[in-house]
Amino acid sequence: MNKTLVIAKREYIAAVRTKGFIITMLLLPIFMGGGFIVMALTQDKVDLTDKRIAVIDQSGLVGQHLVESAEMRNQYFVLDSATGEKKAPAYYIELIELNEADPERQKLELSDRVRSKEITSFLTVGPDILHPVPGDEASRAAYYSEQSLMDETRSWIGYVLNDRLRQIRVEELGLDATVVSDLFSTINLERMGLSRVDSRTGGIKDARKSNEFEAIVVPYVLLFLMFISIMMSAATLLNAVMEEKSERIAEVLLGSVSPTQFMMGKVLGGLAVSLTTTIIYILGGILMMNRFEMADLIPYSILPWFFVYMLLHIIMVGSAFAGLGAICNDSKDAQAIQFPAMLPLILPMFMVMPVIQNPLGGLATWASLFPPFTPMLMLIRQATQVTIPVWQLVVGLVGVVLFTILSVWIGGRLFRANIIIHGRRPRFGVLLRQVFR
Amino acid sequence: MSDIIEIQGVTKTFDHHVAVDDLALKVPERSIYGFIGPNGSGKTTTIRMIMNILYPDRGSIRIFGREQSGSQIARIGYLPEERGLYRKMRLRELIQFHAELKGVSNTGKEADYWLERFDLAPWAKKKLETLSKGMSQKVQFIVTIIDKPELVILDEPFSGLDPVNAELIREVILDLRKTGSTVIFSTHDMTVAEKMCDFIFMIYRGKKVLDGTLQSIQEQFGQDTLRVSVAEGAVDFSGIDGIDRVHDFGRLQEVRLKPGTDPQQVLAGLITRNRLTRFEMASPSLEDIFIRIAKPQRNDQNE
Repeated sequence: MNKTLVIAKREYIAAVRTKGFIITMLLLPIFMGGGFIVMALTQDKVDLTDKRIAVIDQSGLVGQHLVESAEMRNQYFVLDSATGEKKAPAYYIELIELNEADPERQKLELSDRVRSKEITSFLTVGPDILHPVPGDEASRAAYYSEQSLMDETRSWIGYVLNDRLRQIRVEELGLDATVVSDLFSTINLERMGLSRVDSRTGGIKDARKSNEFEAIVVPYVLLFLMFISIMMSAATLLNAVMEEKSERIAEVLLGSVSPTQFMMGKVLGGLAVSLTTTIIYILGGILMMNRFEMADLIPYSILPWFFVYMLLHIIMVGSAFAGLGAICNDSKDAQAIQFPAMLPLILPMFMVMPVIQNPLGGLATWASLFPPFTPMLMLIRQATQVTIPVWQLVVGLVGVVLFTILSVWIGGRLFRANIIIHGRRPRFGVLLRQVFR
Repeated sequence: MSDIIEIQGVTKTFDHHVAVDDLALKVPERSIYGFIGPNGSGKTTTIRMIMNILYPDRGSIRIFGREQSGSQIARIGYLPEERGLYRKMRLRELIQFHAELKGVSNTGKEADYWLERFDLAPWAKKKLETLSKGMSQKVQFIVTIIDKPELVILDEPFSGLDPVNAELIREVILDLRKTGSTVIFSTHDMTVAEKMCDFIFMIYRGKKVLDGTLQSIQEQFGQDTLRVSVAEGAVDFSGIDGIDRVHDFGRLQEVRLKPGTDPQQVLAGLITRNRLTRFEMASPSLEDIFIRIAKPQRNDQNE
């Protein structure tokens, strides 16, 4: 058997046989699945503590309406009509007169009441709220609470307040109430994907309702798989090679194989580990989705890209990390190098959300054409519902291939020059000379 | 006999330190060649260049009659000075892995044979990390020679071994030579070198200082050595001229004479002071020759 393959086989068996590998294989889906379950659970879990809101209504137009609306809401929306279970917090409105002598003092006192949890929040409504003039202090309304930004109560009050004001304005115009309800009716804009040709029947497949799952979860899961596959194989090479160097295994092996065979064997072994993992996960995912009748969400067209990117990415990162590992003499050296070396792997993870939200934007386009990022960022762009221009796919792929070749070349040079040289970690200038000599 | 290794004008420099300086060496086929020299004198660098792990800055290294290149290392069994094995692997699997790397066809059978021969069979399924240091040394040796290579290069093969295991390895080395292999080994044990090697090569500060058979080396130094013993232990050398250096072994004193000294006069001087039980004229031992060459280095460094 080819020596590179003998090394790769040993690496593969050594990695797959460990308890750590099996535990990771089992735990990962639990963690990932767990994350989504927690998300799903917490989405429905609303804060059920009742809210008490103090209202200083200087206009005299909305205060009473708020009290009545809150009572009506408490009657119909707080308890589930079927089960009698509480599903939303009750709102209690307390009307307060404005302290004209010292309104600022009054606000401070109300704030203290909020802080002592006696009330949840308070609202001030200016006297000229009905026909507000921009910039006029008297036509302002304000909601004060500890977390006014993320407060559901605020949006409810805003809605009720505006509804009431609109109603008064319509009355002033003397319009018929039935006409008015039609006037203000809104329509809901449905979110749809695009129509496409069904690959199996050849007919036109109707566009399906796009949902969060498709838009975010599919790209995210693919990216996560890619990240994990790199972390499991290529990223471990830094320490593995350092250990083989410091435990003097490397020189024994170099009595039988060339440094290139040694390094590529290790990279290929890692690749095999990642392939095993991802194939198991992807097959498992496909089975699960078929079972739950989500089969048409499986991104079959992306999977070949996933494996091409993964293959290149592992060779690219693996060679670089093996070269860096050969520079290190001990775990201290490896730690010092680890963080900067990991940056190109971690940075794309921070760009995921902007790229998913705007896959054709400038950041998404240029970052995904930067070869070290391409396998991750181009992949998630492709996994979104947007069509990526073909030239970008081609440029991205060519870039990754060239960069991978460069990485193998540089990694190989560093590996060869340093794998048996012990002593001080060479300086950057020395490394440059090793690469370009 | 043709030469299996031909080194000509080889120089290797690290930073500004010349590790090997204009070295020439020929290793004849089916010989046992001993490399000696103080620590840091260039033995390992020379071996690594033969192995194509390091490249010479200048000069040429020919192996099996061809310019050294990576493709020829498959024909060499190499035991590095500092050596390690995958500690998490089981013994038999590890030996099979190395055998497979060397292209041995029936790895299982070979592994079993060597495990048996080196008394390691009971540990075949144990992980390497559970083995003693001496056992790991034996495993290291097995994986080096498992494919019966044409050329075997052993950097300090006997270090850390007890006499029984050292004897075992010595036997295998001699067997290998019988079946046609050429063996090079480096050692700090001059007695082993004297007894086993057809040729001895000494490198000192990167330069070759000795190269040849033991006899030819000793002849260079002449019979300038006396071995003296007395009945009452310590020999009294006071007032005797012409003595360069006395090496006290306890029950035996080895005396190096200054050039041009007449041994008869020394004997006359000794007889008046001691009751001699032994007086022998001899060639210097390899150890003595080694020290004569390498000793000045230490003095230099102390200054």
